[in-house]
Amino acid sequence: MIDFVGKRKIFIVISLILVVASLISIFTKGFNYGVEFLGGSEIILKVNAEVSESDVRQLIKDLAPEFENARITQIKSVDDPKGISKFSIVVSPKDENGELKVYSGEEKSVLSQKIVEAFKNNNYTAEVIGFNETSGYAAQEIKNLTWKAIVFTLLALLIYITLRFQFVFGVGAVVALIHDVVITLGFYSFFNYELNVAAVAAILTLIGYSLNDTIVVYDRIRENLRRSRGSTIETLVNNSINQVIKRTINTSLTTFIVIFILLLFSGNSIKPFAFGMTIGTIVGTYSSLYIASPIVIRWIKK
Amino acid sequence: MKDNKVRGIITLIVIALAFLSLLWPTSEGYKGLASLFSRIKLGLDISGGARIEYKVDIDKSVENPSQVAEDVWTVLRNRLDMANYTEAIVKQTFREENTFIIVEIPGATDTARAEQLIGSTGLLWFGQVIDSTTSDPKIDPNLVNEAKREKAEWLLDREGKTWYLVKKEIANISNLKLVSPKIVEAIPQVDRNNVAGYVVTFKLDKQYADVFKRITEKLYVPEDLINQGGVAYQQALKKRLAIVLDDRVQFAGFVTAKITDGSALIKGNFTLDEAKQLAAILKSGALPARLEKVSSGWVAPLLGADIVSASLKAGIIGIILVLIYMIIFYGVMGIVADIALLYNTFLLLGILAATGSILTLPGIAGIILTIGTTVDGNIIIYERIKEEIRRGSSVKAAISTAFSKSFITLFDANLTTIIAGLFLYYFGTGTVKGFAITLIIGVLGSLFVNLVVSRFFLELFSGAIKVKGASKGGARA
Repeated sequence: MIDFVGKRKIFIVISLILVVASLISIFTKGFNYGVEFLGGSEIILKVNAEVSESDVRQLIKDLAPEFENARITQIKSVDDPKGISKFSIVVSPKDENGELKVYSGEEKSVLSQKIVEAFKNNNYTAEVIGFNETSGYAAQEIKNLTWKAIVFTLLALLIYITLRFQFVFGVGAVVALIHDVVITLGFYSFFNYELNVAAVAAILTLIGYSLNDTIVVYDRIRENLRRSRGSTIETLVNNSINQVIKRTINTSLTTFIVIFILLLFSGNSIKPFAFGMTIGTIVGTYSSLYIASPIVIRWIKK
Repeated sequence: MKDNKVRGIITLIVIALAFLSLLWPTSEGYKGLASLFSRIKLGLDISGGARIEYKVDIDKSVENPSQVAEDVWTVLRNRLDMANYTEAIVKQTFREENTFIIVEIPGATDTARAEQLIGSTGLLWFGQVIDSTTSDPKIDPNLVNEAKREKAEWLLDREGKTWYLVKKEIANISNLKLVSPKIVEAIPQVDRNNVAGYVVTFKLDKQYADVFKRITEKLYVPEDLINQGGVAYQQALKKRLAIVLDDRVQFAGFVTAKITDGSALIKGNFTLDEAKQLAAILKSGALPARLEKVSSGWVAPLLGADIVSASLKAGIIGIILVLIYMIIFYGVMGIVADIALLYNTFLLLGILAATGSILTLPGIAGIILTIGTTVDGNIIIYERIKEEIRRGSSVKAAISTAFSKSFITLFDANLTTIIAGLFLYYFGTGTVKGFAITLIIGVLGSLFVNLVVSRFFLELFSGAIKVKGASKGGARA
């Protein structure tokens, strides 16, 4: 039998350190926001040669003022053929009032042509294979909706768990979830991973997943509470966690296998999702065992 | 045993339905394994294409905003059809009290042309029809000359079938023309003389009423003359009134009354939809709404295909590893879990095909995640079975107890995921919605698969299930 409960203080300290480190990274370093959050345009460029980000920057920087500080990232999937490189170029053009502007249809085709020509003049064949734009309005809207989605989801879950279990379990689950979300966001910030709409989807899925894990433990505690005689609440919680740990490990491992392989092999647009899920699976499993239940032991009513 | 027969039958029927919906013949010519997926609609992020989203900015003073949004939709649909973008999808969505119109053009490699088309405010004008033909006038020298002589233009009608020779100046009177007039009202109404038909009434802004009056005086044709035929009718044919928008003749017909107050009625034996469309077109010049582009993007089909193959490969490798893992850990029960996993994957694909849901890239991620929930449900049940056997139950009794005890766990655990999915759907934009749909369907599917399909196979194979350490007792990890 593993003692999860007795050493809870150590794990609470570890979690606190992780949460604080994440918050520091989030507030000092910030996020590498995707174009949906920033507003602006993302040009996906395919070059039929192996060139680097700085080569691309060199070739395009004079095409328009906003290109000078464009964010250029190479897109890689394991499956890509040799001799081809793909780049994501993110620019946020401003209009004469300094407001974010979106390219008109005509401007877009002119710009695409200019880029292709700049490469052609240097004997490269390039092709613009994607052009996504998000206006400032949409970016703002997505930010708002994302916050609302996360807050309302947590609230709804708190209510649901209170109804099905006890209020204190709801609090424990929500604390564990906030813990998971903050740490996962911290990883996005620390590793400079792009935070886009898919990443938000990952975080919301993680909420569902981590909660799923937590509920299985709570369910066992609830069941054991009904027939417990004499044993202390600490022992009861610890027994419950031990009874379900095999399931938790097997489930987490199988989910982790799928998600981690997705992270290794998937294309660029799924990568931020797979990254969040990979981190989330680990953090979520940990928090269900070491945070969600141990943290509320004092308040559980028999 | 009888219960299990019922489970077996349900199991077979459901999977048969899923395959039926997947394999129902389609026009798309996929072959081999790919034909399994040919009925699933792919999102533009996978199949390639352009997507433009507009916010419909409606004047605050408008009484009926939903009607305005409806009219904007009709005008856009009409314009895209005219420009041969018939495969384009135009849809309305609502978020936070705002209306959005999304235009999706599958396979388009450039949004520039579509954007110009949608963004431009069409020019609406009234003209006089001088001649009409159903053959292409540009290749007939006589017709080309006729247009030059009359200083008129050959324009196609809405359906692209009939050409009309139209000129702006009515009855050759210079300055008697009506270009981009403000139409304050246009309403489809039931035709009082024709039970099945509809008419369109419209009202011009006061400042245009006088010009319109002079036009109707010039083009006036008495109704009995139209029915008479003969030379007079041939003459009347040169006095038809045309309504032109975006260089297409939207309507051509006789003026049967002189109109003094700018309120007119158009008859044409329309269906309700045709009447609505004509009304929207008439109003398009004066729609109290502005279209603001909020996002646009296009994905080359190439990029989509690359990503799909890489992600699919990842998914398949992941599934195979999980399948092996489960057999190693749970033996016969692992095989049941594998059946359940494949079952739920095909069930999900079948539901996507049957409901016409669109599969987006995050949707693929949702499917992969479903694997997790299905396996999880099985593991919860198996651990219970093992526990019961260790306590000394027979395998059959253990299965039965495990299911009744696991039900509440599965229910609570999956419902919370569904709650998260619902919020994701409600607040999500674009492809995230697709993810939420696959997540919700997948979780519901895994609940069904765990409770019905897994149980059926477990009871079927119960003779082969062995649990190590049954005598030791206790539930050690």
